[in-house]
Amino acid sequence: MTVAAGIGYALLALGPSLSLFVSVISRKPFLILTLLSSTLVWLVSLIILSGLWRPFLPLKANVWWPYALLVLSSVCFQEALRFLFWKLYMRLEDVLDSFADRISRPRLFLTDKLQIALAGGLGHGVAHAVFFCLSLLTPAFGPATFYVDRCSKVPFFLVSAIIALAFVTIHTFSMVIAFEGYAKGNKVDQVIVPVIHLSAGMLTLVNFASEGCVIGVPLLYLVASLTLLHCGKMVWQRLIESRNQSGSTLR
Amino acid sequence: MESSSILDSLGVEIIGVMAPVSICMFLVVLLTYSLSVTSDPQIRTAANLIYIENPSDSATVKLEGSLENAIVFVVLVAFVTFVLVLLFYYNFTNFLKHYMRFSAFFVLGTMGGAIFLSIIQHFSVPVDSITCFVLLFNFTVLGTLSVFSEGMPIVVRQCYMVVMGIVVAAWFTKLPEWTTWFILVALALYDLVAVLAPGGPLKLLVELASTRDQELPAMVYEARPTVSRSGGGGSSLRVLVGGGGGGVSDSGSVELQAVGDGAATHNLDYNAVAVMDVDGVGRSREGHSASPVSSEHSRELGSVGNRESVAEEEMSPLVELMGWGDNREEPRGLVEESDNIDRGIKLGLGDFIFYSVLVGRAAMYDLMTVYACYLAIISGLGCTLILLSVYNKALPALPISIMLGVVFYFLTRLLMEPFVVGMTTNLMMF
Repeated sequence: MTVAAGIGYALLALGPSLSLFVSVISRKPFLILTLLSSTLVWLVSLIILSGLWRPFLPLKANVWWPYALLVLSSVCFQEALRFLFWKLYMRLEDVLDSFADRISRPRLFLTDKLQIALAGGLGHGVAHAVFFCLSLLTPAFGPATFYVDRCSKVPFFLVSAIIALAFVTIHTFSMVIAFEGYAKGNKVDQVIVPVIHLSAGMLTLVNFASEGCVIGVPLLYLVASLTLLHCGKMVWQRLIESRNQSGSTLR
Repeated sequence: MESSSILDSLGVEIIGVMAPVSICMFLVVLLTYSLSVTSDPQIRTAANLIYIENPSDSATVKLEGSLENAIVFVVLVAFVTFVLVLLFYYNFTNFLKHYMRFSAFFVLGTMGGAIFLSIIQHFSVPVDSITCFVLLFNFTVLGTLSVFSEGMPIVVRQCYMVVMGIVVAAWFTKLPEWTTWFILVALALYDLVAVLAPGGPLKLLVELASTRDQELPAMVYEARPTVSRSGGGGSSLRVLVGGGGGGVSDSGSVELQAVGDGAATHNLDYNAVAVMDVDGVGRSREGHSASPVSSEHSRELGSVGNRESVAEEEMSPLVELMGWGDNREEPRGLVEESDNIDRGIKLGLGDFIFYSVLVGRAAMYDLMTVYACYLAIISGLGCTLILLSVYNKALPALPISIMLGVVFYFLTRLLMEPFVVGMTTNLMMF
């Protein structure tokens, strides 16, 4: 269990995002910049949150409610930040559109907007995986592994990689949902994103119970796949709509 | 194709600079990580002339000692830079170029060789000394030739710039901890002064080079476009020839400058600056004004020189910087002039080195600080590039990035780590 194991854990958490990055994001420099800035936003939010909670750390290991409070506050803060991110993106979109007008190129297409949202979401997701999973992986490259008491069947690194994968999926696609929701003024989509995020965060509290990860992790994956489904359905609808629209204008 | 979106071409230049910096940092981190097991004896360079840090020293002793080290180092660097400027002023350009080649040879041969050796030892690579010597020699000679030579493909030059950055940075990561931090901060401040203050050595150097229309006598990474444009075979040549010919526009760049203290052998050091100038854009183009497209375009170009409206002022810098490369699909009438607009951003080797030193130092603590510092440095670089497009003159590339990097390092270490470790070991995430 040395280098191979470490790389395996890392790829487990970040493999899908890596392939997304290579196939979609890396083709367009602008998307890479979006990804980097969204990663930075997430990092800054994490630093601010840890600054706020620092006086209360370490939390007692046997009471669960401070953790619930922590997750709640963090999710609220990050969702507020997502809204700010959206505002920022709106301004950027205006700039891009006016630039496109000036050099007489078409404005941003729907797919462009979706890709920007995807890059933004991926940035959040990657930041999550990097800071919550990858940065703790160093010992996994060594000869030993590590188990936590509450989840004694599976190595800690494996569980955290699996959980990180779920969160990467949730973060990535909920950003797409959120951006579409804001753009269309769709209240359901706007509300569903914080709900998804909060419920995912709260589900990790199940891990607090002894052997709770046996239940918590599958539930988390249920949330992740629901997010994925919803996002897929929504994007599909939008694409069909826009194709019909452009088809009719062409005629 | 009319329908290609503007997203395809935006930001190429920024990524062209960020990618090599990222590669350099990544490889330095990998090196420090894999080689850290073998405890090297402390190295003696111009960076710790005064005080040799001892882990058992008290904090005040370390503080004073590393402060002295940093001051002495910066004074040395400033002195060597002034000598360089003097030499350049009196037109000892060839001497400077040969000196740069010599220092490149030296860096690659000795410091690179030492790193090469420790890699071989660490991974027990079965290679005999003759083969190793021949390989190293060839590698070094190619690197030396690639400095300041016209004939070399730009890719080779770029690769060697990155390699030199890695080698020097890997060397500097062996400096003791406190000294490293003080030197980084001191160099960032020095860079700020040297580039921006009137009479600053780097400012003088850059101005001198641009008034004489000469290449900067320094180690500089040029992010020139290596892909040829749709224009066909001739285009890559045009890119290389740069702005010399057409008289339309050339774009200049960032830069940096190198300073070497060859005698001390290990202390080759570089500082950096970023410069960019866009000139001559507003050439008259009566002939094209008939087409609405070109008039639009020329207005855009014109706005570089003088921006009138507030709105334009607000957005054009970013857009300018990012949008420049995409004249590919313009209607025919415009092709000739827009093709002349090439922009290369130049980044000093010193930036590569000290970014990587910071990240390498962070790697000795934990992976978490590495990611945080990487993001901080890259975003600092992004800010610098945006400022570059606003001010259109040489800018120091170190201060913003290094300051952000240092701040993020300590924030991560002091605040974030206990938080994240506390969360994750309880398998709690959000």
